[in-house]
Amino acid sequence: MKLVGFMDAAYQRTAPGRKLKTGKRNLIFNLEDLADQIGEKPSRAEVERLVPRDKNQLDLLISSQPGKKHARLWGYITSLAAECATAPLILPFRDYAGLELRRGTIIFQDTSDNSGCHVKNYAESHPDSHSKSHSEIQAASHVGERMTGGKILVQGRAGDYLGQEMKGGGIIASGCRDYAFRNMRGGYGVVRGDAGKFAGLCNCCGRIAVLGSCKERAGWLMSGGSLHVRGDCGEYLGILMSGGRITVTGKAGRRAGWRRKGGSIKAASYGPESAEDLLELG
Amino acid sequence: MGRKDLAIGMQKVNAMLYFSLANACLRGRCVLLYGGIGANKTTLVNLLASSFLSMDLDEAEDLMVTGHPEQTEEKIVGFLDPRQWTAASAAAGPTQVLWTKWAESNWKLINEINRFPSGKQNLFLEILQKRKINYAGQVCQPGDTCYFATMNPELSATYPMDEALLDRISACVPAAQPDFLAGFLLSEREKDVRELAKLLPRLTAQEFSSLPEKVAEKTLDSQVELAILSLIRDFTLCERAPAFDKTQLSGSRPSLGLCSGCHYHNNPEAICWQIDEGLSDRVRQDLRVFCRAFAYLLERDADLVVLKAIAPYIIWHRVTSLRSILDRPPYYGVGKLAHVTMLVEKSINRTMNERSEMNMIFSKAVDGETDISQAIEALSTFDDPVSRLDFIPALEQLR
Repeated sequence: MKLVGFMDAAYQRTAPGRKLKTGKRNLIFNLEDLADQIGEKPSRAEVERLVPRDKNQLDLLISSQPGKKHARLWGYITSLAAECATAPLILPFRDYAGLELRRGTIIFQDTSDNSGCHVKNYAESHPDSHSKSHSEIQAASHVGERMTGGKILVQGRAGDYLGQEMKGGGIIASGCRDYAFRNMRGGYGVVRGDAGKFAGLCNCCGRIAVLGSCKERAGWLMSGGSLHVRGDCGEYLGILMSGGRITVTGKAGRRAGWRRKGGSIKAASYGPESAEDLLELG
Repeated sequence: MGRKDLAIGMQKVNAMLYFSLANACLRGRCVLLYGGIGANKTTLVNLLASSFLSMDLDEAEDLMVTGHPEQTEEKIVGFLDPRQWTAASAAAGPTQVLWTKWAESNWKLINEINRFPSGKQNLFLEILQKRKINYAGQVCQPGDTCYFATMNPELSATYPMDEALLDRISACVPAAQPDFLAGFLLSEREKDVRELAKLLPRLTAQEFSSLPEKVAEKTLDSQVELAILSLIRDFTLCERAPAFDKTQLSGSRPSLGLCSGCHYHNNPEAICWQIDEGLSDRVRQDLRVFCRAFAYLLERDADLVVLKAIAPYIIWHRVTSLRSILDRPPYYGVGKLAHVTMLVEKSINRTMNERSEMNMIFSKAVDGETDISQAIEALSTFDDPVSRLDFIPALEQLR
C-alpha cells in the first residue's frame, strides 16, 4: 500500500486537521523551569508575565528550595503570593523574601512559635520547611528589598540589607545585622532589638526606629527621613549626613556628627571628638 | 471478582485478569503482574495454567521459578546428567542435559522476578521471547511459550530491575488487594483454591495452540497502525539526542537537565521532555499484538478505543516520568501509570485530530505525488517534533 492510501484510510478522508498549537510555555513546575525561561536575575515584570496568579502554582513555586541560585526568583514569588492572598502569608525565612512587595502582609515566622494565628500558614502545610527555619532566620538577607507597599513582620533576627532601597510599606523585625534600610526612600522600619552597623545608610525619607542599640556609623550619609534609636549608638553616628533627624535616647559613641553638613542629631550624651553643634537631650 | 479497573469503551474488565488472558492467547510475550504481597498474582497465573494447559494446580505450580539470591542457571534451566560420565554408560555422543519442567514447558512463570540479583536477571534476557533455551551446548525447544512474571514493589530483599529486562516485558499490570466487595465474596467462599481450580474450564492442547491464530485473525485498522507509529515517535524523538533518538542517551537525560532551554521544554503539548527514555520497536510489536488479543477476548474490533486503554500498561514500566511532574498533583509521586495514560491519550488525540495535514503532506511527498522541496517547506511550518525531527530529515534523504 502506498503511504497516501494508508493515511487516507487512517483519516477516512476527513478534512485536514489544524496545525499544532505549540510554543506555549505556561507550565512551570519549579524555580528551575522559571529560571530556564527568564534567567536567574529577572525583573519583577518578567516574573509577573510568566507566573500565573494561581494559588496552587504559587504554592508549588514557594515550596521549591531556591538555594542561592534562585533566591531572587523565590523572593518575587513570595511577593506575588502575598499580593494575591487575602490573609497574611506565613513563610519560611529566606534571602530576598518579599522582594519588591507592593501590598499584602508577609510574616516570617520562627515556626517553633505559631501562637494560633488564623492565617494562611504556609509553614503548617509544608512541615519540611520547619526544620531549617531557625538557622535561616539567623541568615536571611535582603528581606523586603525594594518594597513599595505592604507589611513584613520578621519574628526573628534578620540578616544584612533588611529593607534595602524600600520606598513604601513597613518592616518590623526582632533584630537585624548590617546595612539595614540602606538607601531607604520611604516607608517605615522598626527593629525591636539591636541593629548592626550602618543602619539607615543614605536614608532619604524613610522613618527608622531601633528599640535596642545600633553599632557604628548609623545614619551615615543620611539626607532625609528620621532615625530614632532607643538604646546607644556606636561611633561616627550621622557621619557626613546632610539632612534628616537622628535621635538617640542613650549614648552616642565618639565622633558623632563628624563632617555633618545638615540635619539634626540629638543624643543623651556624646563620646569624644563629636561635632560641637549637636543637641543634648534634657 | 476483582475490581474492574480497565475501561475499554463501554466494557469494564479487570486489568490483571484480562492482560493475563490476553497473554495466554499470545506466544513469546511476557506479562508482569506488579503489586503488593498477597495480591494473588501467582495464584492467578497458576490457575490460568491449570485451565489453559488442562492440568492440576499442583502441576501448574511446577512451571514456576521463584527469585532468590541462591538461584542458579542449573536450578532454573537444567543441569548436566552426571550418569553420562559413569563407566557403564560412558560413550561418545552429545552431552546429556536434564532439563527442568520449567525449561521444557511452553508456559513459564518467573515468580518474584525482582528477588533475583541484578546479574542473575540477565539470564532471562536470553530466555524471554525466545522459542528455545541453550545450556551446555544443548538446546531445549519448548516452542512458542507464554511468559508470566510477578514482582513486589521495592522491599528490603528485592533488587532493581534492569531496563533491558523491563523492555522485554510486554505489559506490566498493577495487582491490587481485593476491595471490600471482593473480600466479602472471598470470605463467603467455602471451597479451597485447589478444588476451585478443578471446576475451571479446560482447554485441549489443540485449542490452546490455536489461540494465537485466532488472535491473528483480528486485523488492525489504519487508524490504530498510525496511532501506534506516532505514539512511539512522540516518546522517542528528542532534538538533542544522537539521531534524535532518546534510546541512545547515556548519562544525560531530560530529568538531568538535558532539555533546559530546549524549544519544546515545558510545552505541555510536547511529550519528549516529560519522559526520560525512548521506546524500542518491541513496544510497537507489543501494542499491535495486545490490541488484537483484547479485541479477540472482548469480541470487538481492534480499534483506537482498545489501543488507548491498553497502551499505558505496555509503556509505563519501560519509562521514567519527570520527577517534577510526577511529584505534583494529581500524581503525588505515585501516579506514574496515570501520567503515562495522560500522555498516551494526548499523543493519540493529536495524531488523529491535529496531524492529518502534516501527515498527508509527508505521504504525498514520499509517494512522489508532490515536490519534495515544497513538502519540506510546508512541513517546516509545523512546530511538531515528528515533523521537524522525523519527516523533514526523511524527505531530505529522498531529495
